[in-house]
Amino acid sequence: MRPRTAELPYTGTTPAPTGSAPATAPLHGVGRATYAAVRARELWAGLHLSGFASVSELEQLAIRAQRFTPRVSLVPPDGLLLELAGSLHLFGGLEGLRRELTGECQPLQVRPVLAFAPTPLAALTAARAGQPLIILDPAQLTGQLAPLPLSALRWPEETRARLARAGVRTIGAVLRLPRAGFARRFGVAQLASLDTLTGRTPDVRADFHAPVRFRRRHELDCELSDHGRLLAALAPLFDALGTFLIGHQCGVMQLECRFVHRNAPPTDCALSLAAPCADGQQLGALFGERLNSVPLPEPVRALELWADELLPQRSSCRALWQPGEQGGEAREESEGLIDRLRARLGREAVHGLAQRPEHRPENAWIATRPPAAAQRRVLANRAADGVDETLPTRPLWLLPAPQLLVAHKGLPHRHGPLRLLSEPERIETGWWDGGEVARDYYTAIDRHGVRLWVFREREQPHGWFLHGVFG
Amino acid sequence: MVVGDPKIARLLEHPAIWRGRSVAQRSGLSTGFAALDEHLPDRGWPRAGLIEILVGRFGSGELALLMPALAALTRSATARWCVWVAPPLVPFAPALASCGVVLDRVALVGGARRQDARFRGDPGMWAFEQTLGSGACDAVLGWVRQPKPRDIRRLQLAAERGRTLGVLFRPRRAAREASAAMLRLSIEPLAAGVRVTLIKGRSAHRGAFDLTWPGS
Repeated sequence: MRPRTAELPYTGTTPAPTGSAPATAPLHGVGRATYAAVRARELWAGLHLSGFASVSELEQLAIRAQRFTPRVSLVPPDGLLLELAGSLHLFGGLEGLRRELTGECQPLQVRPVLAFAPTPLAALTAARAGQPLIILDPAQLTGQLAPLPLSALRWPEETRARLARAGVRTIGAVLRLPRAGFARRFGVAQLASLDTLTGRTPDVRADFHAPVRFRRRHELDCELSDHGRLLAALAPLFDALGTFLIGHQCGVMQLECRFVHRNAPPTDCALSLAAPCADGQQLGALFGERLNSVPLPEPVRALELWADELLPQRSSCRALWQPGEQGGEAREESEGLIDRLRARLGREAVHGLAQRPEHRPENAWIATRPPAAAQRRVLANRAADGVDETLPTRPLWLLPAPQLLVAHKGLPHRHGPLRLLSEPERIETGWWDGGEVARDYYTAIDRHGVRLWVFREREQPHGWFLHGVFG
Repeated sequence: MVVGDPKIARLLEHPAIWRGRSVAQRSGLSTGFAALDEHLPDRGWPRAGLIEILVGRFGSGELALLMPALAALTRSATARWCVWVAPPLVPFAPALASCGVVLDRVALVGGARRQDARFRGDPGMWAFEQTLGSGACDAVLGWVRQPKPRDIRRLQLAAERGRTLGVLFRPRRAAREASAAMLRLSIEPLAAGVRVTLIKGRSAHRGAFDLTWPGS
């Protein structure tokens, strides 16, 4: 008996060894204590919707079910759990609640099975087994669950088959097996699920939160068609959006606005951003650029602004250096620039460049997404790599499509005769994908001294084409 | 000061004489052509400001003249973007890469993919000014149709604000107009290089000189 009392003074002063002892150990104890107090009062309703696959419909049902209790959690693909102990007297007891919940399911064209039990897994298991049980007393839990088939627990097929071979087909039978042997033969996970079923260990379910979205409508006092005035009318909406986003610590990348007219169908105008933004004024300014390119068929009577998808916005610190100074980076500026350019010129107006391993010049490059914001490169000095001197000379400019040149006496002409400078470079490829080319490329120089990249087709009629300018 | 006078040049070589120019020497961005560096005010392209390159015909070698500098800019550790605003043709990615330009720092605005008459007018100018002033770019190359002197002044101010090298390509007949650009040069193609004529430059050496391409 001596050692325990002797150890006590040290527990407060010695720091807990980091890493070795699980940090959750004391929390686990706390969780147990509160759980024991809460468990007596919890009543879970398990809702099983057979033949129900769509998660979005399940979420809709969860949103409706939130009028009964804030503690609703989803069990995809076909289950819903509600903690109803506090709501019983508000909805006319268990019978009233059952009626209301069944009513909520009716618009979705499904017939739910509803069971009540002190633990969430027990309620759900009973519902999945098709038994509308009502278990109020924790002491009756194991007894009531005993006749249910094992399949309701949704264990792996292989485990169930092995249990069936041993003659274990109901929950009652599996609960009677010795714990240590069960864990060894069928896995700790299965034992843990039995413990949550009977309430030996707490079953913590994450509450469902309806996705937050922003939507505002503003009726105008008079019909407006001037873009400047429309923007002024939109300003309060963008202010509200900014406050909303800051309050939720979120940003948006996709924003939509609808202009409602008297007769014409409403005009929709969407704004996409390169990075999440939470600044209402900046969004308003970007939207102003976008609005300039939207034709309005009629004056506008009402405005609607909505953002469906909110993204978590992480605030960042500003750099000490200005971009362009030694050590300065230009991340924010780059994203802002892309947004501004796209808002005014359209989404496809900004793009990047990349090479492709292809011999046909028209396929050797590809337009890509705009380059990512400038970031410090880990490979600080790339001066050594990249430049391959063995490559044949290529022009800096490429024509979008080869341009046919006039030929006199077998030589190409463009503002006068062209002088061929180089030996031909033959590019003959692509016979396998239908885009076959067979060309002899030359560097040529025209009367004004401009160096051009021309080719002569190897097939009849041996046409001369201009394909690039050396610049 | 008579720069070309050999007596004064010898006198200036004395180590005790300190000249303000020697500090400024490092501020420019080397063009990659020693002869050109010598003639330019900061011994290279300005790092912040607008320059004009005037050509008789498109493709006279104006782009090749810039390539070594663009390669150096895109290869630095803290490289910002190099943006091409409304290029008349497609910049050919393999050629850029073989000149040493890092392609993931290159962005194109509008240009050959977008055959839109509306774009080449005012929006091209707008995009050029926005890009120059944003601070997100190391260099911006722009092809703008008939910019007015007031527009060029705006571009110059935007380039200074964004600490960006702006390059405006114009036809040679624009040499007669006044311009707010820091540096103006006109180029003509030669057999294996270009002849560069400095039209305007802050304390630059005037006159024409020939450059030869490194490979030829």
